[in-house]
Amino acid sequence: MLWALFLWPVAGGLVAGMGPRSRGWLTAWPAGVLALTLGLAILAAPDAGTVLPWGGGLTLRAGLTPLAHAVAMLVPAVAAMVVAYAAQHEHRPGLRRLIALMLVFVGGMELLVIAADFLTLLIGWELVGACSWALIGHRGHEDAPPASANFAFIVTRAGDLGLFLAAMATFAGSGSFAFADLAQMPPGLLALVAAGVLLSAASKSGQIPFAPWLFRAMDGPTSVSALLHAATMVAAGAYLLARLQPLLAPVLWFGPAVIAIGLLTALAGGGVALIQPHAKKLLAGSTSAHYGLMFVATGAGYPLIAIVHLLTHGFFKALLFLAAGVAGERAGDYQLRHMRFGRALPLTAAASAIGALALAGVPPLGGAWTKEEIASAAGEHSSLLAIAVMLAGALSAAYATRFQLAAFGRDGMDGTCRPGAIEKAALLLLALASLVLGLLWLPGFHDSLARTWDARLPHAEAWELPLSLALIAGGIVAGAALARRSELGTRGVASKMADWMGLPTLIDAGVTRPAFALASTAAAADDRIVDSPARGAAVLGRAAARLFARGDGAVVDRGVRASSAFGRWLAQLSSGMGERLADALPEATAGGVGTGGRLAVRMQTGMTHQYYATVAGGILLIVALVFWGTA
Amino acid sequence: MLSLAILVPLIGAFVLSLWTSAGTRAARATAIALSAVPFALLVAAWIGFDASPGAPLFQHIEEAPWIPALGVAWRMGVDGIALVVATMSALLFVAAAAWPIELGERAREYYAWILFLAGVSLGVFLTLDLLLFYVFFDLSLVGMYFLIGRWGHGDSQSAALKFFLYTLAGSLAILLAVLGLVLAGEGPLTFDMRELIARQPLAGMDLRGGLVLLGFVFGFGIKTPLFPVHTWLPPAHVQAPAPASTILAGVLLKMGTFGLLRIPLAMMHETFARYALWIGLIALASILWGALVALGQTSIKRRIAYTSVNHMGYTVLGIAAAGSLVAGHEAARALALTGAVVEMVAHGLITGSLFLMAGSFWQRTQSYTMADYGGLAGVAPKLTAAFILAAFASLGLPGLAGFVAEFQIFAGTFAVHPWLAGLALFGILLTAALFLTMVRALFFGDRKLPDGRGFPDLSRSETVVLAALLALVVVIGVYPAWLLEPIMASARMLVGGAG
Repeated sequence: MLWALFLWPVAGGLVAGMGPRSRGWLTAWPAGVLALTLGLAILAAPDAGTVLPWGGGLTLRAGLTPLAHAVAMLVPAVAAMVVAYAAQHEHRPGLRRLIALMLVFVGGMELLVIAADFLTLLIGWELVGACSWALIGHRGHEDAPPASANFAFIVTRAGDLGLFLAAMATFAGSGSFAFADLAQMPPGLLALVAAGVLLSAASKSGQIPFAPWLFRAMDGPTSVSALLHAATMVAAGAYLLARLQPLLAPVLWFGPAVIAIGLLTALAGGGVALIQPHAKKLLAGSTSAHYGLMFVATGAGYPLIAIVHLLTHGFFKALLFLAAGVAGERAGDYQLRHMRFGRALPLTAAASAIGALALAGVPPLGGAWTKEEIASAAGEHSSLLAIAVMLAGALSAAYATRFQLAAFGRDGMDGTCRPGAIEKAALLLLALASLVLGLLWLPGFHDSLARTWDARLPHAEAWELPLSLALIAGGIVAGAALARRSELGTRGVASKMADWMGLPTLIDAGVTRPAFALASTAAAADDRIVDSPARGAAVLGRAAARLFARGDGAVVDRGVRASSAFGRWLAQLSSGMGERLADALPEATAGGVGTGGRLAVRMQTGMTHQYYATVAGGILLIVALVFWGTA
Repeated sequence: MLSLAILVPLIGAFVLSLWTSAGTRAARATAIALSAVPFALLVAAWIGFDASPGAPLFQHIEEAPWIPALGVAWRMGVDGIALVVATMSALLFVAAAAWPIELGERAREYYAWILFLAGVSLGVFLTLDLLLFYVFFDLSLVGMYFLIGRWGHGDSQSAALKFFLYTLAGSLAILLAVLGLVLAGEGPLTFDMRELIARQPLAGMDLRGGLVLLGFVFGFGIKTPLFPVHTWLPPAHVQAPAPASTILAGVLLKMGTFGLLRIPLAMMHETFARYALWIGLIALASILWGALVALGQTSIKRRIAYTSVNHMGYTVLGIAAAGSLVAGHEAARALALTGAVVEMVAHGLITGSLFLMAGSFWQRTQSYTMADYGGLAGVAPKLTAAFILAAFASLGLPGLAGFVAEFQIFAGTFAVHPWLAGLALFGILLTAALFLTMVRALFFGDRKLPDGRGFPDLSRSETVVLAALLALVVVIGVYPAWLLEPIMASARMLVGGAG
């Protein structure tokens, strides 16, 4: 039953990949598949564990904790709207492949959400990576997307090594791969598991230093970006940390390390998004920042808050990407300075405004509540941490405002390029979901949520909310001012800073180029140095063979000639003596020796392999004789 | 049944070599039909194989006396490991025979050599007699020498000669080691593998055991090939015709790793355990060096060839981990050994199909240079799909066969040698980089072809062969139980002691 969450979207994707290519079918079929997936997820019983034998003693385990259950529902819900939008919005060539891959992508994500051991997790984890490779590189005939797809896959795979490590350590410590057995692990190995999980989560969720792959992923179609950032792939990292936090908490450094990475990314990502001139990259920077906030919540010991923020973020980020896609289609590129479509696209602008307010953390939207909870969670450790989270929130308010005003300001041009009905419906539904999540502010609602998930909420200090709101207001004002500077981040140092503070250049100069240079050097060394003993042996062998041949010619031949001359002399002598009987023997000997000599000369062909074969034959002969002797 | 699997292709080779009036089509049809016989027989043997606990290690035994004075006999039999490797090999021979290739006048001889090679290669995996093993092992060299030398392109004569001399040097080392093994210990002289496994003739002999092990590791290491004795492999592959490359990578390389686990691991496990860490280190060097050098290659075929060094390194790592202790960590060691064997099967299928596709490039444009190509996804979608699938399988993506193997090797090895496993992980990052850059160079970006030639997509027979091989790659990746059960049954017995 639980496996159907994975199998059904994958099967649906395979059917879509082979079915008709019309937009209608490619809208209706995935919508149906994902609606059913959502239904299955809703009906799935929490805590239902199931084990599938995979052969050779390996098993695949699935299970639903309450957190996993929530994410399992989020994924198809967001995906349904994004995929329907994609079927309407994306260009016709390759559309069927795109839709099919998106469905498989959802299946892979569901698999890693329901996974209850590292083997199952790793399968879903890497499937998601491969799907995102194919989706980012969707426009394969162009130059940039395939290269960006490779970059994204290799960077995230570097993180996947962490999961391999975690799986290996778990097996070494407990004899199985199950999450549940982490409880009996020796501390050293558990720390290794924690390190591996953190590494892979950070790379998947676009945290520092892996963050630049999210920018490169923007070379994929907009709907892919929306799916990637809101529901699949990037969400996997934050989800995994939240899922395993209770089991990894005994590792003392785990919480602080997670907070450090998350907070650093939240602040840096906020700064990058603030000056980024490219609409989708602005949103990508904000994605890194908000997953950083989820890391902070998990590190502070509140995985529940992280997951609820994952939910609210999922809806509003998908909404913003889809809106950016509509604006980008209208502008012809994604440069914010070419936009301001508030009057041309009123409905898109209105929907986007709801998403932007949620991103900014303005009450009463749901995203605002989760962000305040994260600040309170951090505040339980230290007030400074809480203030840092609020600063990240202020940055978030600033770039959200800048995005909304620059992309959908009302002082721009009119136009006729209007989104289709399904694109609009998807935008409206996502906006509606973001509004409904405002219910989270109601004490009755969030308390009962905490009770059902058997978790508690962080205690909020009285000063926290007012300070946070003031910072948000400041952020909005700053963002509005920046939105007017249309050339922001396009030139000089600012453009370097906007491109993840030069991190991509650093990765290129520090990792990629040296790796390729090392590979070329190794290839040359392999040909010249590693092969040289073999070549030397061949040269030596040939020289030795030539020497033998010459020696044979000089010594053996001379001996043969001498002996045959001796034979002749003897024959002459004996014939001279007139004794017929004594005649036959030496003549025959001479003839035999002469023939042998000619044969011996003929064997000196100078061809190494023939010598080799002769030597081998000789050895075999000797060996055989030895055997007969011993037997 | 097993004897027939060896004799049918050998007789077929003999018949083809005498049947002078056979045309290309008749010769090809004969080769396909006769190479399919061993495959069918081995599938039947697989169905009849008992993998339950308590079943004997070797099954389907056939025995006929040959040279009783030496303890040599025509002994055939399989454990789960030999069974799956032999079945995979038999399938690759069918694929090699069925793969369309321009041969000109000498098609009949070509197919005769393929059948000959099929017979002797299966002999290596199916025999239970050490002397027969050695004879088959050496005869396979002869078959491959002629396939590369006569039907290769470029400087194929010297590549073939290098291959032959290099691996012959290896087999001489193996011969000496075999003698050192057989002549040691008590009891009457015998080449019966079962008896030798039970006897452990070199137990307690330090120096002699070490030397014999060195001989085996050196000899099988050349064949596998392991760093630093791998340099015969790239020229042999580049110059060989595609089906010969497939057999070389898919079947002949396996003889090295198979020999390593059949002879030193099983017959002298005390000595093996003493030096296992060193073998593991060589495997680690092969994994990293093979992947790094592959990344530095500019030719399609050389790049694929070097990934074999990497992948066979994983196999040897698994074998080294499995043999690193005489007792203890049985579950992890059995897992590593199972992974090593799955890697042999997976590598055969995956790299076999990659080499066939490299042959498709050569057949169309006579160029292996990656920079000559670009944007082929637009003109050859079927080739693109198959290549990408094989590339992802080779870089170890879950859901495909390579992952099943590598995951088990890593997990099993970590429990015994954590550092080796941890460092070997970088291999899968490098393979991801080298395959993805190759896929991008060939299939994406602007369309580019050497000298503006045309590039037709896969033909029907190419499609059928590749689909069969890659379907298995997917099936193993999705549900490997049918493959893992017989291997695991034997692996448990091998790591649990003498077997």
